[in-house]
Amino acid sequence: MHSVTAIVVAHDGARWLRETLTAVLGQTRRLDRVVGVDNGSRDDSGKLLTQAFGPNAVVSMPRSTGFAQAVHEVTTRLPHEPQGTEWLWLIHDDCAPEPRALETLLWAAEQHQDAVILGPKLRDWLDRKLLLELGVTVARSGRRETGLEPREYDQGQHDQDIGGVRDALSVSTAGMLIRRDVWDELSGLDPRLPLFRDDLDFCWRARAAGHRVLAVTAATAYHAEAATRRRRRIAASDDHPRRLARRYALFVIMANLPFWAMLWSMVRNTFGSMVRTGLFLVAKQPAYALDEIVALGSVLFHPGKLRRARKARKKNRKNGYQLVKPLFTPPSAAVRRIFDMVRGQLAGSGPLDSAGRHHAVGRAPEEEEGDELLNDEGSFLRRTFANAGARLFLALVVVTVAAHWRLVTGGLLGGGALVPVVGGAADLWGLYTGDWAPPYVAVLAALSTLFLGKVWLAVAVLLLGCVPLAGLSAYLATRRLIPYTPARVWLAVTYALLPVATGVVATGRIGSAVVIVLLPVYASLATVVLSGDPRPARRAAWGLGLLLAIGTAFVPLLYAFVAILGALAALSFGGVRRGVGISLAITLIVPIVLLLPWLGELVAQPARILREAGLPLPGDPRLPPEALLTLNPGGPGTPPLWATAGLLAVALGALLLRRHQLIVAIGWGVAIFGVLVATVVARLSGWPGVPLAFAATGLLVATALAGHRVAEFRAAGGFRKAGAWLVALVAFATPVAAAGLWIWTGAHHGPLRWNLRDPIPSLAALKSEPGEGTVLLRSAGETLTYTVLRGRAPLIGEAEARTADGAVTAAVAGLASGRGGTDAQALASRGIAFVAVPAPVDPELRRALDSEPALTRLSLSRVAGLWRMVIPVTVPPPSPPDPSHRYWLWGQGVLVALVLILAAPGARAAEPEPVAEEQVSGERVLV
Amino acid sequence: MRRLIENRFGMLALVLIALAAVYGGAFVSRPAPVRVEQPKPVRAAVASVSTVCPDPGGATVSAVTPPGVEGPGEATVLDGEKTVVLDQPGTLWQKSIAKGADPVRIGATGAMASGLEAGRTSKETSGAARGLAGVRCVEPGADAWFVGPGPAVADLTLHLSNVEAAPADVFFTVYAGEGLVVTDQATGMVLKPGEHRAVKLRKVITSPLVMGLHVETSRGRVTAAVEAVLGQGKGADWLPAAAAPDTQVVVPGVPGSAGRRVLYITAPGEQDTVVQVRAVLKDGSYALKGREDVKVPAGSTTTMDLTTGVGGQPAALLLTSEAPIVAGLEITGTGTLQDVAYTAGAPALDLGSVVADARKGTRLVLSAPFGAATVRLQLLPKEGDPPPPTQVVVPAARTKEIRLNPPPGGEKGFSVVLQPQPGSGPVYGGRVIEENTSLGQLLTAQPLAVARTWALVPPTTDNPAAVLP
Repeated sequence: MHSVTAIVVAHDGARWLRETLTAVLGQTRRLDRVVGVDNGSRDDSGKLLTQAFGPNAVVSMPRSTGFAQAVHEVTTRLPHEPQGTEWLWLIHDDCAPEPRALETLLWAAEQHQDAVILGPKLRDWLDRKLLLELGVTVARSGRRETGLEPREYDQGQHDQDIGGVRDALSVSTAGMLIRRDVWDELSGLDPRLPLFRDDLDFCWRARAAGHRVLAVTAATAYHAEAATRRRRRIAASDDHPRRLARRYALFVIMANLPFWAMLWSMVRNTFGSMVRTGLFLVAKQPAYALDEIVALGSVLFHPGKLRRARKARKKNRKNGYQLVKPLFTPPSAAVRRIFDMVRGQLAGSGPLDSAGRHHAVGRAPEEEEGDELLNDEGSFLRRTFANAGARLFLALVVVTVAAHWRLVTGGLLGGGALVPVVGGAADLWGLYTGDWAPPYVAVLAALSTLFLGKVWLAVAVLLLGCVPLAGLSAYLATRRLIPYTPARVWLAVTYALLPVATGVVATGRIGSAVVIVLLPVYASLATVVLSGDPRPARRAAWGLGLLLAIGTAFVPLLYAFVAILGALAALSFGGVRRGVGISLAITLIVPIVLLLPWLGELVAQPARILREAGLPLPGDPRLPPEALLTLNPGGPGTPPLWATAGLLAVALGALLLRRHQLIVAIGWGVAIFGVLVATVVARLSGWPGVPLAFAATGLLVATALAGHRVAEFRAAGGFRKAGAWLVALVAFATPVAAAGLWIWTGAHHGPLRWNLRDPIPSLAALKSEPGEGTVLLRSAGETLTYTVLRGRAPLIGEAEARTADGAVTAAVAGLASGRGGTDAQALASRGIAFVAVPAPVDPELRRALDSEPALTRLSLSRVAGLWRMVIPVTVPPPSPPDPSHRYWLWGQGVLVALVLILAAPGARAAEPEPVAEEQVSGERVLV
Repeated sequence: MRRLIENRFGMLALVLIALAAVYGGAFVSRPAPVRVEQPKPVRAAVASVSTVCPDPGGATVSAVTPPGVEGPGEATVLDGEKTVVLDQPGTLWQKSIAKGADPVRIGATGAMASGLEAGRTSKETSGAARGLAGVRCVEPGADAWFVGPGPAVADLTLHLSNVEAAPADVFFTVYAGEGLVVTDQATGMVLKPGEHRAVKLRKVITSPLVMGLHVETSRGRVTAAVEAVLGQGKGADWLPAAAAPDTQVVVPGVPGSAGRRVLYITAPGEQDTVVQVRAVLKDGSYALKGREDVKVPAGSTTTMDLTTGVGGQPAALLLTSEAPIVAGLEITGTGTLQDVAYTAGAPALDLGSVVADARKGTRLVLSAPFGAATVRLQLLPKEGDPPPPTQVVVPAARTKEIRLNPPPGGEKGFSVVLQPQPGSGPVYGGRVIEENTSLGQLLTAQPLAVARTWALVPPTTDNPAAVLP
């Protein structure tokens, strides 16, 4: 015979209590005894309990009483039934069991004699089909796992277990049926856990003692989870439920694990919490971060509490662990969760869910930005290849490889504006942190670090991969602007294969390559800044500022260009939309702040604004006007002028369609302004690539917007259909011709090579003392160029940081003339120990160097000649490091981190509904 | 305006107008093509010269620095233990050196270095080495070429000196008529600083009748000179250093006198080659009839008798080939007892030339194989003031022989300074000294070398792009 005592604990729960009491009293299995506990309710809860159970069956407790304590209060007063099996049925005030719930639970208890704790299936109070829990388990990180998907509806999918029961590590206290002897044996719920995880702790102890805990899927209760969802204030503690939940989660794990497992868990959780705190900070959830770290601290800094709790659980802990262990969340779940988390973060969806959602009420699925790429169902491969952007990228990669494979002949990558790429990421970081160096060195160093420290790989991907990367970024960035996918594909592929892009690759202009890849992102962010909601717009402004700083570091001209456009935009939009002016100001000020000292140098030498990252490589001041109009910057690697004719024809034709007139006007305005700036730059012997890329972007956006009209025409049939095909043909002629010409001529027509030797002879590199230099002489006709290498080949960005020394130039010239005299002494006194002449060695130069008494020839071969000073070489003392440089580096790092955080997608902003139900990463209800 | 924008063609018209304006702007602003003037090398006075006169025993050593460069400077002549300091540019210094002396070292700095020229000339009237023999004093270098008879017909002595502060590893290569001669004694000579050595080539290799000799150092620098003694009644002289291998070689300084003329050509590369020979004579430049070209197998030396071809005229030989060659010429005098002299491929005298040792019976043979040239000639007598300079015009593709009469005060010797005038084509030259004795003509010759007056300082820029090919 069973004897069941129902214990209903209420705390400010009048909203639900009436229904709960009706449900409890309406059970098909009659209750033997009912007890109500009122934890100092300020509403009608006490009255309702008294009405239902009678005044003798209701205990009143203070407001701060926890759930466990309330139950203990009842059990101490409750006399034992002499016969039969005695059960306690714990009911929350917001938990209404179905009429047959108790009957089913008891039936299950009879079927499984070893089951001492049973719990019903919990469904949502309001949405009664929504599954909340079917027994819970825990991960070693303390995360509470229900094993359910978010917002899973109960269609019996979890009920197929034999007999309608499933083994669980734990069941919720809402509707928990406990055998009284077990309650007494285990001393019941731990009152030290007033709110969360008391159920887990109790069931864990029961499991460890060899008992069985069952979730009975045939029994159902409806649960409002009022405390977790913050439908009511909790009085048991002043802390935020999230922090409490995290603290008790850690506490329960550490109290119940055996010693060594506990130590491991402690280390692991400490590390994990640090990481999560960092991620929360990045996700701009400082409150979450604080809760996370405080919860950890409160567990770790109260070892006495933990020791007492462990002492109380000593009995079965070690032996019972083997029984509990299989019920934990499998480790694969953690991996999957990390993957989901990263994916969510990338897709810009919201908060990090650290402690485990309490149940299935997740946020409603929203249309996220990354949906198209990342959130489709299906396998990774299928998702990748079914996506137009991915196919476009792959096609462009194929085109690039076809054009470049002849380039790769072994050796160093370099030529044009690119010095032979040597060294690793550490060298670049050393260059940047050692002394004032152009800021793009830091960007390249960071990229190289991502590429496992290989600078050549980073540069090759950035420079040779400029075309596919530009295509991909153009495709992704125009998602918001151009809904019609074929038009976007056309835009992306045309943009990627612009004469500017192929010219950039052929001449090794890594700066322009970076800007070309970033340009569509600028356009996309700029539209958000100008037209988005205030919060995303402000965030986009920070992001645009950061990316603009990166682009400006590579190509300073970019900033001037964007500044003019930004000023124009501020004039036109500033009055119309609130905050646009400030956002634009942020965008334009961030680069200045981040690049401050370096920009100062630029201001001092305005001519340098026309230069870009890498070696100076001026353009042709006589660039014909028709080249400028066809967006062709001239020089190696650019197709003939007719290649872009199709683009221009379609762009002009699109003007006849009267749609999107504002954007079309802006696009053409940018295009014409870009060509104008390109003209000025070209006439000043600059390379007009970047302004022309701007112009092309404007043109392409203005044109692609009309793309859907082509589809409409095609659908219309007749001569319109033929016209649509003709337009498509002309439009795609430009990228196809560009790709074909590129593959046909190959990329090896430009100065870029991938077979360069290390410019410094290995003998000189080997024998140079620190600080000693090698003069590298190269004769071209009657002129001579030289550079001084300090023991190794120059790194990217090193050349710009150095200033020419007229005395060295004079001494080198004198040495090369063979006039004798003190030129060699002058060089030796400046630390020059070697003179290297790469092939072909000019005989005159060789004779001159041979005739210099202060030099001795070390080697002369087909590839190079090397001479060494025989007179004493004095290494000039290294200039003392500028102390302000170190401070600036720290400052710059902090500023970059700050801007990153401000630009990162925030956690809460995307929530459209009023924040009524803040998710609490916690638990249970009550009190 | 509104109607214009709302018109279907309004926008197009606006854009076209804007594009036309941009095009116009770009068109108007397009600069005229500018011919970029390549910067020219700048002449700079040579600031220091070091030269060594080999085996001066019994010879006269002459040294002179042409006037012209201002400023301090001095030249130091180290003759054994004795030191002579010269500080007067334009004044010829001569000294007869006692037999068996060590090589004479001349070092000059400053104004005295600019154009310092030195030579040694000796005269033997009897014995195996009978004849006039002379050679320019040699600057230390890393390699030197000589072309002439081989050890089988001449007693050849290679004089090596290391006057540098570092030791020198010397090796030499012999290109004989049959090809490259391999001998292990030709390598591994180490000359300590200050060491002189005379190598008898017959002790190293005996067989070659003709040879091209390439003396090289793998470390350090040496001065190298070769003395050839053909034997009793056949004459003796020094082989002048020949121009480094090139596909076009000019052998200047063939005197207009009777006697055998034998051309030696060495092709040191790995490729057989055919050399076209043209003679630049008094009245024009000709391919020699029947001797238009000569085949030189790779790595060997070939001779060609040009006696009838040149026919006793003053000449220069213009050799062109596909592969680089080195060339020299043997000049044989007339008489019962003959004497020989050697000239060799030489560079053009763009920066001028200085002849240290001229005397009675000295001739200059100047050739302008490519374009007309005007050369200013300045004689510097040993004593007294120099006479006013004269101009010599050499028409294009012609050779001109100038007999030099000693100026007043130059009876004991004088020097000659040649300076091609601006606008001249390349000038090549040689100096020949003849002395007629009853037993036969004595003679010596040398191609004119570029004076160490000026060095061309190339336009030099500090450019980080130098790391790229």
